[in-house]
Amino acid sequence: MSAQIARVEKLAFAYPEATAAALTDVSLELERGEVVLVLGRSGSGKSTLLRALAGLVPHFHGGRFSGSVSVAGCDTRSTEPAALAGTVATLFQDPEDQIVFERVASEIAFGPENLGLQPGEVTERVASSLAAVGAEHLLERSTRDLSGGELQRVCLASALALEPQLLLLDEPTSQLDPEGAEAFLELVERLARERGMAVVLSEQRPALPLEICDRVLFLERGRLLLDASHAQAVRWLEENAPDFVEPFESVTRQAGDPGRAICTMEGVGYSYRPDTPVLENVSLELRCGEIVALAGPNGSGKTTLAKLACGLLEAQAGQVERWGRAGYLSQDPGRYVVCERAEDEVALGIEGDLARARRWLDELGLGGSERRHPRDLSSGERERLALATVLATEPDLLVLDEPTRGVDPRRKRELGELLRAGSPGRATLLVSHDLAFARSIADRVVSLAGEGVLVGA
Amino acid sequence: MELVVRPLVALALLGACVVAALAATRPLSLALLAAVLLVLLLQASWRRARLFLLGIVVSSFGLFLIWPLTAHVGSHPLWNGPILPVIGSIDVTREELAAGAVQTLRLATVALAFAVWALRLDQDRIVREVRLARRSVLTVALATRLIPTLERDAAGFVEALRGRGVAVEGLRGRSRLLAPLVASSLERALTLAESMEARGYGRSGRPLRARVRLNWRERAAMAFSLLLVVFSLLWL
Repeated sequence: MSAQIARVEKLAFAYPEATAAALTDVSLELERGEVVLVLGRSGSGKSTLLRALAGLVPHFHGGRFSGSVSVAGCDTRSTEPAALAGTVATLFQDPEDQIVFERVASEIAFGPENLGLQPGEVTERVASSLAAVGAEHLLERSTRDLSGGELQRVCLASALALEPQLLLLDEPTSQLDPEGAEAFLELVERLARERGMAVVLSEQRPALPLEICDRVLFLERGRLLLDASHAQAVRWLEENAPDFVEPFESVTRQAGDPGRAICTMEGVGYSYRPDTPVLENVSLELRCGEIVALAGPNGSGKTTLAKLACGLLEAQAGQVERWGRAGYLSQDPGRYVVCERAEDEVALGIEGDLARARRWLDELGLGGSERRHPRDLSSGERERLALATVLATEPDLLVLDEPTRGVDPRRKRELGELLRAGSPGRATLLVSHDLAFARSIADRVVSLAGEGVLVGA
Repeated sequence: MELVVRPLVALALLGACVVAALAATRPLSLALLAAVLLVLLLQASWRRARLFLLGIVVSSFGLFLIWPLTAHVGSHPLWNGPILPVIGSIDVTREELAAGAVQTLRLATVALAFAVWALRLDQDRIVREVRLARRSVLTVALATRLIPTLERDAAGFVEALRGRGVAVEGLRGRSRLLAPLVASSLERALTLAESMEARGYGRSGRPLRARVRLNWRERAAMAFSLLLVVFSLLWL
């Protein structure tokens, strides 16, 4: 059996109606058992490259395609993605959007059933793939009730149930806490070694995946600038894309007069279902001029506490007091698209003040996009638009829920600078799994441990 | 309460109820069918059932209001309105009200059958066990799952708007969410379709199925479904 599993030759691709190419002159080879990390800024073509390896580009998306991609000897232009399913498996960015069935067992069985396997073999694959990701206990659970981390594992099990020779992972840890992300990547590495499966993963938080990968690819504007071994790649990144390897520096603020209190929470409690409290007896004070980072594992109640702070939820126990106006940026920038034009979107929260809306768009690098439909913006631009809609309201308390999810390191630094620059006039609560980023801009980091206990405050 | 027959058999029973509702012309028969289905629906969780019930009540009541105004039958007028272009004379007769009530009950019965399918049946098992029209059944199952997803999306949009100080109140405020909800559903549908294709959906050949053996209770239910269809076509 040849060691090579995939070969990409002079691949160029542009999405339908796009003026710029998503990929240009990309050539590479992938070997069995290796873990390849794909890095690049937002919109550099990482996801498109993964889709090309899965045959989804051009079959599913259409567009202009030249060059060739072959996987296990099959040319992806003449082989449908469904026919490649036994060879290639893909895990997309948002696990929630990939779920077909209500129950975990059915979800994992979907792929093997499509391959036409015997019912007994399907059952065996469901059990073995769940065991491989350490999630046997989820077999009979409803996919609707799973946490982000559990859902990610179920989606990985669904991919593994196809017993692929090439596994493609598109930002698989973006929704996981640091411990969950580390465990997930260790699992992927182990499976690649044990099964001799090639793994290609794209990531925006490169520190962890850099530790496990054999090779690194770096894409910029659709061109492959780097295809090198781990050691060579780190040197290249230090010289050419330092954002990806330089750690965020922790901020040391000089102690000064604490500003006035903007929000105080005393002994707060909340539960979505009776007898299963998410938060119990949590106290936190947010003062003007400070940035407080809120960390904690998946499911610890961070988002709930953030919503209580800004008044989107009412505390069921304890007391929340707020002075001034609160603004909340949710995890999903798609939730900030209700108008036809970007400027109207921002003006919506400021009584239609278009001049002020344009100023904020400009501030966030969206000058010139005022009249574009928000859905026509790239994912990075949408994130900035969402931030502009909240910042334009000039809140006294700014609550940001995972604002760096899927954001490349350079944009993270820009976001950090923007938040620090505006921090003297408001209190900021930053919910984030990205501890390095959080420490780089926050005055203090508090963590929610299990059962809603705040530590480190 | 758990159903005592497998979901595929329950689906056959619901299908028979729909056929009976479409064939029946007597209000009493339709009311009986609707009552049975309502009882079944109310055994689902109230939180999920109430959305379906609201939709059923609103659409049925709307049909009952519109029907007499657009139909032109009967010789016992209760109210004579103006003559409008295209529609003609707007009047309400006793016969139109009776016909409107039958159509309303019919719509409510079919909608209740759908609600029972959506809330009480294990759709995963139906999709995995069905041997005919699997794609259609899967499409309906995915569309059914869209309802709670839309509910969650709507809540997310409201929350994001409130987070930037925009209150969402009244019909006008909520109607603003319609277009973004449709757009986000379409985006999600594309991602799901892509993911399904990547997992082999649409590959040539059909998935193999384990043979389904019906127990005596399920065989009786299938026979009852058949009888209900025949009986409704001939006598209801």
